[in-house]
Amino acid sequence: MASLGELERALMDRLWAADAPVPATTLREELADRGVALTTVHTVLTRLEHKGFVVHDDERPRRFRASASRADHSAELMHEVLGNSGDRQAVLARFVGSVSQDEARLLRELLDGADDAGRG
Amino acid sequence: MLPATAAALAVLAVLLAWPVPALLARAGWTRRDPLVALVCWQAVGLAGGLSMIGALLVHGLAPWGTSVPGAAWALLRGRPAVDPVRGDHWVALTLAGVLAVELVGVLLLSWVRTTRTRRRHRALLELVVRPAVDVPDARLLDHPAPVAFCIPGARPLLVFSSGMVAELDGEQLAAVVAHERAHLREHHHLLLLPFVAWEAALPVLPAAARAHAAVRELVEMRADDVALGSLPGPAPRRTLARAIVAAAGADGGGGVPEGALAVTGGGIRARVVRLLDPPAPLPPPARWAALAAATLLILAPTALLVVPAL
Repeated sequence: MASLGELERALMDRLWAADAPVPATTLREELADRGVALTTVHTVLTRLEHKGFVVHDDERPRRFRASASRADHSAELMHEVLGNSGDRQAVLARFVGSVSQDEARLLRELLDGADDAGRG
Repeated sequence: MLPATAAALAVLAVLLAWPVPALLARAGWTRRDPLVALVCWQAVGLAGGLSMIGALLVHGLAPWGTSVPGAAWALLRGRPAVDPVRGDHWVALTLAGVLAVELVGVLLLSWVRTTRTRRRHRALLELVVRPAVDVPDARLLDHPAPVAFCIPGARPLLVFSSGMVAELDGEQLAAVVAHERAHLREHHHLLLLPFVAWEAALPVLPAAARAHAAVRELVEMRADDVALGSLPGPAPRRTLARAIVAAAGADGGGGVPEGALAVTGGGIRARVVRLLDPPAPLPPPARWAALAAATLLILAPTALLVVPAL
């Protein structure tokens, strides 16, 4: 039995690969090797809808599509990570922030200076 | 006339609102022992809030009795005041209430907001990226900008961008992992939370912003120190310094958005200098003196509040 996270990823992979909204029944057929029931597919789709990753048309309630592409989601995440507002900084611990070109040059000089001292 | 206790608390509050944070932010010894310095900052923050609210409470409750707990109880039970109640007593009580609600409220709000954003980030990551087989709590995000970070919480995640992995060699990558794991193990996000919240709550207080910046820098230095302890190789300090410089200097082929470059390099430079030319550790007597001062700082306003007003 696959984990819920694994199923969510598998469903999203298929929705991202499709060009049109996909019926839940088709998704279940594509996941037949995992032995999941249609209700499970619906449960996972509902979860994904709650999280805002999946949407369905009101006219065709049994067809689902991804709300944004995989690249869009990556870009959204990176945009938040690279932002500088206090709130964003509080959310995660980033290894180092990016610095300006001048600052980067100063840092490299600092490192090279220490290397020379170490050799001399 | 103000009772002596209220005056003492007010003086303490003023000292902790400006001169003490300014001195601690400028002190050189904090880089020699970031952990002790972090304890001191927590004490300054806690004692500052306590004395600020305490001074107002002691003054506002004075007509109901000489001890704060007793007087508060009397007021809550609706007992008549012993001395005449003037307007300034009500003003002090109202201010104390507003300040307490704001400080605690903003802290809770920050907590809820950051937790929600972390959950969203984790959900996005779990969906977009497949976990690595050998490091189950790490995720490799396909993006040219060099970025490494951790998302704290019940199920923490380490995240690396492909740009970061391309920039570093194996030893440097291990150093970054050790650094991020140190953040997670010591719950540095909890040490930062009050300072993030109070900077938001008291934007008029320059010390709040300064304290936040100082604590952020110390947390990074502490994580560097912890990481060094677990790194193999002949020169872990140099490896970590190289990783920091490589990650900070790489622009990832223009993948970094505009605003991201606004981070000042001062803190990063201080970290690199400290790694390449380590300052002598704080001698034990100085360590204990700093810890004793921090303890005293919290005990003083607490005692002034609980002990009957002079």
